[in-house]
Amino acid sequence: MALNKRRVYLAGLALQLLLIIAVSSRDMFWVFSKSRIVFPESSKNFWRRAEQIASTPLGQRLPRSNPVRQLLTGYLHLSGIEAGSGFFAPNIPNSYKLVFELRFPDGRVEYKLPRVSNAASVLRVAGLLDMIGRTRSEAFRQTVVKMLADSVWREHADATMIRAIFGSVVLPSAPEFEHGKRESYEFLYAYDFSVTDEATEQRLP
Amino acid sequence: MKRLSAWRERLVDFCFPAESDTWLAVLRIGLGVQVVLYALSLRDDWSYLLAGTGHGLISRNLGEAILSLESDLVPRLGWLVTLGTHIGLHEETVLSIAWVCLVASGCGLLMGLASRSAAILAWLFHLCAAKSGGFVSYGVDNFMTIGLFYLMLSPLPDRYSLDWRLRKSRPRDPQLLGFWRRLLQLHLCVIYFFSGLTKCLGTGWWDGSNIWRALIRPPFNIIDPEILIRWKYLFPVAGIFTCLLEIGYPFFIWNSKTRKIWLIGICAMHAGIGLAMGMYLFAFIMIILNLAAFGPGLIRANLRTYQPGTVGRDLWTSGKRAFIWGSVLVRANSHLLSTRRPPLLESVVLKGEPARHARGTDARSSAGDCTSAVNRCGRLFKAARERAD
Repeated sequence: MALNKRRVYLAGLALQLLLIIAVSSRDMFWVFSKSRIVFPESSKNFWRRAEQIASTPLGQRLPRSNPVRQLLTGYLHLSGIEAGSGFFAPNIPNSYKLVFELRFPDGRVEYKLPRVSNAASVLRVAGLLDMIGRTRSEAFRQTVVKMLADSVWREHADATMIRAIFGSVVLPSAPEFEHGKRESYEFLYAYDFSVTDEATEQRLP
Repeated sequence: MKRLSAWRERLVDFCFPAESDTWLAVLRIGLGVQVVLYALSLRDDWSYLLAGTGHGLISRNLGEAILSLESDLVPRLGWLVTLGTHIGLHEETVLSIAWVCLVASGCGLLMGLASRSAAILAWLFHLCAAKSGGFVSYGVDNFMTIGLFYLMLSPLPDRYSLDWRLRKSRPRDPQLLGFWRRLLQLHLCVIYFFSGLTKCLGTGWWDGSNIWRALIRPPFNIIDPEILIRWKYLFPVAGIFTCLLEIGYPFFIWNSKTRKIWLIGICAMHAGIGLAMGMYLFAFIMIILNLAAFGPGLIRANLRTYQPGTVGRDLWTSGKRAFIWGSVLVRANSHLLSTRRPPLLESVVLKGEPARHARGTDARSSAGDCTSAVNRCGRLFKAARERAD
C-alpha cells in the first residue's frame, strides 16, 4: 500500500478513535455527574466540568448552527457513535408504565396500554417510556403522551375522555422479594384529554 | 530518531496487519442475518412506529424535527417520503418500499450478492429508520449502524460471497483488510472498557443487586422471579464477572493465551442477556461483532497447535458446540418472530367504582387513586403477558 494512502488511513483511524473516546468519556462523565456512584457527592461538579471538556472535541460547545458542529454531529450519527454504550451502568434505573383510562358515554371505563405487535417492539416502547420518564421538559413529556393517547383514541373513537397515567415501576430488592414484597407502581403524572369537538381539532400538533 | 522511526514502524505494523477476508465474511453474513431479522421483527409495526401523519404510535415528524436540531445531514425517512411524494407515492407506500429494500439488502449481504451496494443500502435504510424512529430505538440500532458502517467501507467482496464466484472479483490488499478489522477491534475495546468502567463505579454490580434488577425489570422480566430468587447467591458472582469481563476486555483480548477465554466469556454473557432478558437482536449483533473482530484468527491459531490425532476430535467438538448454539439462536429468533404479544394490555373492563382524579395536567393530589389504577393495570399487563408466553 502506498505511503500516502497509509497516512490517510492512519489519520482517519486516529480521528475515529478520538471521536469514539470523546463520546464515551462525555457520556460516562455525564452519568457520573447524575448518578449515585462510589465517589462522594462533592465530586459532581468535577464530573460536570469533565463532561464539558470531553464535549469540546465533538463541537458541542459551538453554536448549533456552526457548520463544524453540524458536520461532526452528522458524522457521529452516520457512523453510529453519537452515544456512548454504558447500558445499565452504573446502576439499573426503574422502568416506567403508561396506562390509559378510557371513559365511554355509557359510563364504561377501560384501561389500555400502548399497543404493539410483538416482543421486539415492546422493547422499543419501553425505551420510549424511559425517555418520557427521564426528560425534564414538561412540554416534551406532554406532547409525547398526547401522541400516544391519540394512537389509543384512534382505536376507540367512541371514548369521550382519556386519562393518561404515567407511573414508575418500583422493583423490590432480592431480600424484599423473599419477604413477600412485589413490584409496585408509583404515580408520577396524569393528563386528561377530553374528546370534545374543540379538543379534537387541536389534540395533536 | 531511530527509536521514533521504530515506534512508527510498529504502529504501522499494528494498524496494517496482513489479514485474510474470513473476518469480513463473518461480519457480512452476520449482519445480513441481523438486518433480515431486524426487518422481520418490525414487519407488523413498521408503519405504526414510523408513520409521520397521525397514523402511528408516535409521529415520526417529531423525532425528525429533534434530529434536525442536532444536524441536518443525517439521513431520515422523511427525505424518502418527500421524494416519493414528488412522484405521487403515498407515505405508506414509501415506508413499505423502504422495508422491502431493507430486507432485500439484508438478503444481498447474506448471499454476498452485490455486496458493496447491499451494504450501502442496508446501512442507509437502517439508519433512516433508526434516526426517524429515534424515540423507539435502543442499543441494537447503534451497534447495527456501527457494524454496517464498517462493513460498507471495508474491502468487499470476500471469498465466500456470490460476487466472488459470479463476477470473479478478487481479494484486495490484505493490509487493507487488516486495517478495517483493527479498527473494529479497537472500537470494541473502547466500548467495553467504558461500559465496564462505568459499571465498576456503580455499587449495584458488586453485590449482584443490579443483576437481579436487570432480570426483573419490565419488559426484560421473562424469567419468573420465583425461579430467579433460588439462584440469588450467583448474582454477585455474575455482577463481578460482568464488570471484570468488560473492563478487562481491552487488556486480555489481545493476548493469544487469554483471547479465547475472553471471547467465549463475552459471547456467553451476550447470549445470556439475549436468552434471559429477551434481547435476542441485541445479543446477536454483539456476538457477530465480537466474532468478526476476534474470532477467525483464534480458530486458525488453535488449529496450528493441535496434534495430528486430536484435530478431528476437536473440530467435531467445536462443530457440535457451534450447532447447539446455532440451534439456540435460531429457536430464540423464531420465538421472537412468531410471538405476537399485542396488546401490551388486553382490553379489560374494570368493574367497580370509577376512579376519581383531579382535572388538568397536575393530578398529583389524587396520587392514591392513580397509583391504584396503575397497579391494577400492571397486574393485568403481567397476566396478559404470561398468557402470551
